[in-house]
Amino acid sequence: MKAGYKLFYFLAVFYAVVDLVYWRIGGDPLGITAIGLSGGLALTIGFYFWQNDKRMGLQPSDNDDGEIADAAGELGFFSPHSWWPLPLALSACAMGLGLIIGWWLTVIALGSLVISIIGFTTEYEKPGVSAHY
Amino acid sequence: MTTFAQPSVTGATSGPVQPRPKSKGRLFVKWITSTDHKTIGYLYLITSFVWFLVAGILALVLRAELARPGLQFLSTEQYNQIFTMHGTIMLLMFATPLFVGFANVIMPLQIGAADVAFPRLNMLSYWLYLFGGLMAFGGFLSPGGAASFGWTAYAPLANSQYSPGIGGDLWVIGLAISGLGTILGGVNFVTTIFTMRAPGMTMFRMSIFSWNVLLTSILVLLAFPPLAAAFLGLESDRLFGSHIFDSANGGAMLWQHLFWFFGHPEVYILALPFFGIASEILPVFSRKPIFGYKGLIAATIGIAALSVSVWAHHMYASGQVLLPFFSFMTFLIGVPTGVKFFNWIGTMWGGSLTFETPMLFVLGFLVTFLFGGITGIILASPPLDFAVSASYFVVAHFHYVLFGTVVFAMFAGFYFWWPKMTGRMLNERLGKIHFWTLFFGFHLTFLVQHWLGIKGMPRRYADYLATDGFTTLNTISTIGSFLLGLSMIPYVVNVWISRNSPKVTVDDPWGYGASLEWATSCPPPRHNFTSIPRIRSERPAFDLHYPHMAHTDGGH
Repeated sequence: MKAGYKLFYFLAVFYAVVDLVYWRIGGDPLGITAIGLSGGLALTIGFYFWQNDKRMGLQPSDNDDGEIADAAGELGFFSPHSWWPLPLALSACAMGLGLIIGWWLTVIALGSLVISIIGFTTEYEKPGVSAHY
Repeated sequence: MTTFAQPSVTGATSGPVQPRPKSKGRLFVKWITSTDHKTIGYLYLITSFVWFLVAGILALVLRAELARPGLQFLSTEQYNQIFTMHGTIMLLMFATPLFVGFANVIMPLQIGAADVAFPRLNMLSYWLYLFGGLMAFGGFLSPGGAASFGWTAYAPLANSQYSPGIGGDLWVIGLAISGLGTILGGVNFVTTIFTMRAPGMTMFRMSIFSWNVLLTSILVLLAFPPLAAAFLGLESDRLFGSHIFDSANGGAMLWQHLFWFFGHPEVYILALPFFGIASEILPVFSRKPIFGYKGLIAATIGIAALSVSVWAHHMYASGQVLLPFFSFMTFLIGVPTGVKFFNWIGTMWGGSLTFETPMLFVLGFLVTFLFGGITGIILASPPLDFAVSASYFVVAHFHYVLFGTVVFAMFAGFYFWWPKMTGRMLNERLGKIHFWTLFFGFHLTFLVQHWLGIKGMPRRYADYLATDGFTTLNTISTIGSFLLGLSMIPYVVNVWISRNSPKVTVDDPWGYGASLEWATSCPPPRHNFTSIPRIRSERPAFDLHYPHMAHTDGGH
C-alpha cells in the first residue's frame, strides 16, 4: 500500500532532518538519541511496508474500484472467545508485584507467566497444521 | 469465516442482533473471555469512565480544601497524594484508555473490518490496563499512602529517599504494566488499519476519525517505550539503589527529558482521537461533507510529526534547554491545529445546522479548546512562560486543552454513538441540561484560575494565606467545580433511563451519517456487517442512503 510506506518514509525523513538540525544547534544528547530512534522506528516500519507492497501487489482495499466481493472467501481466523488473556495479564502483574512484595512471588509468577504464554500462543495450534494468529 | 455478502442497495436495517446469553453468570463469562472488539471497547469505555468519576471526586476534594485559606480537612501529604493520583488517573487511566475504547468500538466499523487484527491481544491490553491501574490506585491502601510526587514524578523527589513507601513503587510498576497494554493496543490499531480495510476503502477514503486513530497509534509507539524505560529505571533506583536518575550525574535532567519525550506526544495522543470525533460529528449536523478532507489529514500528520520535537517546552524553567528551537517548534505546531479549526468552521459554514446534544458538545469543545490553544501560544513564548511557569495559569491552560478535547468530545461521542453502541437513543432534554451545566461549571472553575496564576498563586500548594488575595477567585473556582461535578447527575440519569427508551430500528438514526458504521445495524452483529455497501468516497453510508446525491471521488 503506497500511502502506508510513504507515510512512514515521510516521518523517517522528517525526524532525520529535525534530528540533524537539533544536533547542529547543540541539542541535548538524550533528545538527539530519542528523535534519531523515532526516525529509525519509522524507517523500519516503512521499509517493511515497502517490501510487502512490492511482494503483494495491489490489494482490494487499495483499489479505487474495489468491490466488496473482491475479498469474499476466507477472511482469516478470528478467535471466538478466549480465557488466556486473563491469566497472562494476571501473571504479568504478579511479576511486577513480586518486585515489591518479595522474590517468592516473582518465582511463582514466572511459572504462571510461562504457562500462560504457552497457553496463549498454542491455543489454536494443532499438530501438523501451520498457520495464523 | 466470511462476513461479506453482495453489496446492499437498500438503506434498510441490515442484519439480526445476536441472541444474548440468558443467565448473568454466562453473560459475565462472555464479557471476560470476549475477543469482540466492540465488547472490549465497551469494557474500555466503562472502565475509563469510572476512573473519570473517581479522579473527578479527588478533584472536588482538592477544590473543597482550596475554597478558603487554611487547612480544613487534609494534611499537606494527603493533598499531595490526591493531586498526584488525580493527574495520574485522568491522564493515564481515563483519557488514554478512552481513546483505546473509542478506537476499538468505532474504527473497525468505519473501515469495514470484521474485528481488529489481533483480538486476543486486544483483550490482553485491556486486562493489563485494568490491573495496572488498580495497582497504581491501590497505593491508597498501603501504609504510607499513594504516590505523592506529582504525576510527573520528577527526580530526585521520586526516589526512595524523598518518597519512601510502597505507594510509589505500586504507582511506577502499575503504570509500567498499564503502559504495556497501551503499546499493544497501538500495534493492534496500526495493523488493523493497514491490513483489514474493506475493498475500495483506500487510505484516502478513510474517515478522519480512523486517520486520527492511525496517527495516534503511531504516536503511542513513539512515546510509550521511553516512558516504560524511564519507569523501569526509576524502579531500579528505588528498589536496587542504582543511580540512573541521581542528580549527581545529571539524572534529574535525564528524567525530565525522558518523561517529557513521552509527555508531549501524550498530549497529542489525548487530543488527536478527540479531534477525530469532532470531525465525524460536525458534518452530520451541518448536512455538509467535511471541509478540506485532505487538509485535515495533512494537519494530523503534521501534528504527529512535529509532536516529537517540542517536548522541552515543559522544561523552559530548567534553564538547560534550547529555548529558540523549542519555542519555534511549539509555535509551528500551532499551525496545523489552526488548520483544523479552519476546516471545522468551513464545515459549518453555510450548512443547515441543527443543535442536537452531540453537536452542542462539539461546539463546547471548539470554544474551550480554542481558549486552551491561545494560552498555549502565550506559554510557548519563553519570556511569558517564565512569568507564569508552575502557576495556576498553567493549570488553567492544560485543563482548557485537555478537558476541552477529552471530556467535551467524549460526551459528544457518547451521545452520537450511543444508538450505535446500545441500540437506544439518549434523552435530548437531559443531554442539553447536562451540556449547559458542564459548560458553565467548567468555565466557572477554570477561567478564574488564569487570573489566580497571574496574581502569583503557585500550583500544587495545599494552602494560601488570607492576605495573599487569592480567596475570592478560589471560592468562585470551587463553586464552579461543584457545579461541574453535579453535571454528571443528568448524564448518569440519562444513561439509566435510556435502557427503557425505544429501540433504534434504522441503521442511521441521525439521518446524515457519513462513515461506514452507519451502514450496519444498531448495535452491529458479532462480525459487524451482514453486507457492506460499495465504497467510492469517504462517505460510503451517505452515498448508500442518498444515491441521487452520491459523489464519487473519481479515484482520489
